[in-house]
Amino acid sequence: MAPSSKRALPSKEATLFRELLTLYETRQLKKGVKTADQILKKFPEHGETLCMKGLCLAQSGKREEGIELVKKGMRFDLTSHICWHVFGLIQKDEKNYEEALKSYTQALRFDKENINILRDSAQLQTQLRIYDGLVETRHTLLRLRPSLRQHWIALAVAHHLNGNLSSAKKILEHYEYSLKNVPDYDVEHSETLLYHVRILEDLGEYAEGLSLLDINSKSRAIVDRTAVMEFRARLLSKLRDTDASNAWRALIDHNSDCYEYYRGYLASKDVDLDNPSDESRGQALAILQEFASQLPKAATPRRMALSFATDEQFSDLIQQYLRSGLTKGVPSLFSDIKGLYTEPQKYKAIQEAAEAILQENTPPEGQCSLGEPTTYLWTLCFLAQHYSYVPRATPSQPLPSPNFERALALLSAAIAHTPTLPELYTLRARVLKRAGDPLGAAAAMKEARLLDGQDRFLNTKCAKYHLRAGMIDEAIQFFGMFTKKDAANPGADLEEMQSTLYLIEAGDAEYRLGKLHLALKRYMAVDKIFHEMEDDQYDFHGYSLRKFNLNIYLNLLAWEDRLRSHPAYVTAALQASRIFVKVHDDPSLITAASSSVRLSDAEKKARKKAKKAASKAHDDKKPAAPSTSDDTVENTPAKDDDPDGVKLLGAADGLDRAAKLLQPLESLAASNIDAWLVIHDVAVRRKKYLQAIKALKHAQSLDSEHAELHTRLVDFKKRALTFPQAPPPPIGPLVTTSLATLLPGEVSLETYNSVYLQRHSGCAPAVLAAAQVSHSLGAAIDEVDATLFTTLADDAQLDIVSASKIVDFLKAIKSSRVEEYRLACLSRFPLSTVFMTRSELSEKQKQIVEGTPLVEVERLEVVP
Amino acid sequence: MNIRPAKVGDLLGMQACNLQNLPENYTLRYYLYHAMTWPSLSYVAEDHQGRIVGYILAKMEEERDEKQPIHGHVTSISVLRSYRRLGLAKKLMVQSQEAMANIYRAQFVSLHVRKSNRAALGLYKDTLGFTVKSIEKGYYADGEDAYAMELSLQ
Repeated sequence: MAPSSKRALPSKEATLFRELLTLYETRQLKKGVKTADQILKKFPEHGETLCMKGLCLAQSGKREEGIELVKKGMRFDLTSHICWHVFGLIQKDEKNYEEALKSYTQALRFDKENINILRDSAQLQTQLRIYDGLVETRHTLLRLRPSLRQHWIALAVAHHLNGNLSSAKKILEHYEYSLKNVPDYDVEHSETLLYHVRILEDLGEYAEGLSLLDINSKSRAIVDRTAVMEFRARLLSKLRDTDASNAWRALIDHNSDCYEYYRGYLASKDVDLDNPSDESRGQALAILQEFASQLPKAATPRRMALSFATDEQFSDLIQQYLRSGLTKGVPSLFSDIKGLYTEPQKYKAIQEAAEAILQENTPPEGQCSLGEPTTYLWTLCFLAQHYSYVPRATPSQPLPSPNFERALALLSAAIAHTPTLPELYTLRARVLKRAGDPLGAAAAMKEARLLDGQDRFLNTKCAKYHLRAGMIDEAIQFFGMFTKKDAANPGADLEEMQSTLYLIEAGDAEYRLGKLHLALKRYMAVDKIFHEMEDDQYDFHGYSLRKFNLNIYLNLLAWEDRLRSHPAYVTAALQASRIFVKVHDDPSLITAASSSVRLSDAEKKARKKAKKAASKAHDDKKPAAPSTSDDTVENTPAKDDDPDGVKLLGAADGLDRAAKLLQPLESLAASNIDAWLVIHDVAVRRKKYLQAIKALKHAQSLDSEHAELHTRLVDFKKRALTFPQAPPPPIGPLVTTSLATLLPGEVSLETYNSVYLQRHSGCAPAVLAAAQVSHSLGAAIDEVDATLFTTLADDAQLDIVSASKIVDFLKAIKSSRVEEYRLACLSRFPLSTVFMTRSELSEKQKQIVEGTPLVEVERLEVVP
Repeated sequence: MNIRPAKVGDLLGMQACNLQNLPENYTLRYYLYHAMTWPSLSYVAEDHQGRIVGYILAKMEEERDEKQPIHGHVTSISVLRSYRRLGLAKKLMVQSQEAMANIYRAQFVSLHVRKSNRAALGLYKDTLGFTVKSIEKGYYADGEDAYAMELSLQ
């Protein structure tokens, strides 16, 4: 350890060192380096100066050089709080929060009451959710500087986070009591008081909360009127106070399109919103209709009424509702009401109403229209969506199956009527997509886009549909029409802007084309975005307390805790894990990927050359955009040494990476059966048998008959039977007993499988699962084929996705009947392109790129 | 559609809506900065499935000179094309403006629009009542000029 006497500097250098600290604080990093050099000229082994110089360098883009210097400085002075603090900052910059906190703790050993270090520690403790430690740190800070308002609030928040609401309340009371001279219209004070009310609400002390709210809103100490009204209505409702409906009513007058306010109002009138009785249906309807007449501009009461109305009343109301929407030409009308399609009677009433409106407005042959021409148009659109509606879950009373032909005929009539409305083509695209024709859908989206080239919405849709059709290069070109021109490529800009939509769609497109390396690259980019978003909260641990915006800050922390429940993360994590599993099972995929990259690299070089030659011909260089970046920080992103994801695909620790991706899903996607199935797949390959069993149990509790669970149960049992040696206790016996609860031990796997097949003989995914299982158990191919061909029976439910999976499986097992099955699907799904051969598909893709219309737009008969 | 104050959980939906609609995009950090600084100024429109189909991202102007009155600024507002003709933009704008005036005593609200974006210009001018105050040369990263527009809140 270096003697600390070496730390003391003569007065000239000591002044310089203080200057250096100020320069760092004010982000004048280059000057900081120069000042440090002045000191180091005389005292080259001064640890603290070396560290500070290193910090300035590291934060101005010279990371590695800086870090080296910091480490050197540390070696000269291991007992300096400055050195440890600097080291902690460096680690924090690398998002290594755990290690950073350790360094801060070291720093505090040498300077117990350093405010800056304590504050930074508190931020790290919050980031790491070490709330008991946070309370201690905040306590120390308050003890050291009780005059700072912020320190009181910070302690209250720390108690709150640590689950101790009553301590938080006490601190706030004390703080408010000691406050003097609060200026009028003080937003910070207002926010603090609202935070206090929230604590009381969370504590269940509604009356106290209400009185605090009322006193301070009357005195205008709380200035946020909307927040006051919302708190008030909620607290009164919780108190079951008769004044609650007035409070909700005030909110409705303030914002008459907020559903929550109407729900609050209805609940305050004792209407049970989830299971309304006939009586309360009537009551709700009366209330909503009253609102509808008082607030003619509000759409909400009219729409809400549709959920409560039944039978004839519903027919009346829906007619008015549709008529108004179709006359105005509201494009979202269908998506607005499709939530009502859970009830077959409503489905029927909607169809009748819309057909009646169409009849009234259809122009007689060869004559001008009687009604409004746009009403006719929008009614065609509405009905096209209606007829192509695919019911989501199977409701107790099933809805009619979609009629894509009819929907397309309606849209063709609309297009013949008004060929320039982009919406007609986007709808057409959607119908084709649902009918299993991603190529036709992409072509239709392209037509929509051409009708309004300035509109990014149409552009995004067009690009997305091209990705769905497997036309990735074309899609990227479309995206590129709106991405930044100075980005390396359109995808890079979208990734930087955190477009998970693009990354997931592109990943899925690559996956479907078998380019697993590129797919993995996209999915892992989504993971990276979620890391960024997790890091984003860091600065707010300080900022929000300084701003006193406490309610939203606490909501931020709660949201960050559940961040990875976001569908984009879940999808990316599952897909990436599936790829890691695939590669683990078949390492030849890695060599295939790297040789395909080498091939396409050669292609790219050739293309680049051609492009260069072309751009030389007409160089239209625009002046560079003014730089907005801070000149002290040069944040050049590191060059990606694996742009195609080949290294990633071949990573030796692929399964461990997958396990890490999946880990958050165990709590955040616990009701997602796919998540548990993939967690199992990874666990079983990592030989974590208990975890695998646990995952299967979860899956079974969610849907015990799930097709993909069936294949895994049998697979696991097979693995357990063929363990080269039983896992040592306690794992081995535990696996055996758990397995016995998952599937019966006394019957053979063959019998188990055939019983499963019998239970689900009409359901294609289950039949496929049973066929896969019997194949894995060594059944003859013709037997497996025969099982799969039962899905073509008239009474069997077969959808496009399952059918194409069956084709893939038949191919994989080298069945001689692949063609037979494929051809049967072609005639079963006449609009679909999914079952076309590769050459047929690429011919169609070529047509789309060249812009040949795929379907002649002609006046089709629309009357059924 | 449901119009309500934006919550933290809406920011990703707002970001997605913005990316789908407009050429000016931001990372989540910028949305967070707005929400954490002016938690009551941004609003969203959501459909029945809880998808964000429109939003207004707003703030108070911080970099104003002493003489200029307190005012709000609309960083971004948009409604998905498929949810137009419902008056959502206007409803979002009205809520945000009220909050600006009520909480921060804003005197007016400002915004920028690309000179070439005629559709947006029409919305701000005709539907929302904004007027063009000046032209800011090269306001956008690609060098395009912006109209600086204002609407009085008094």
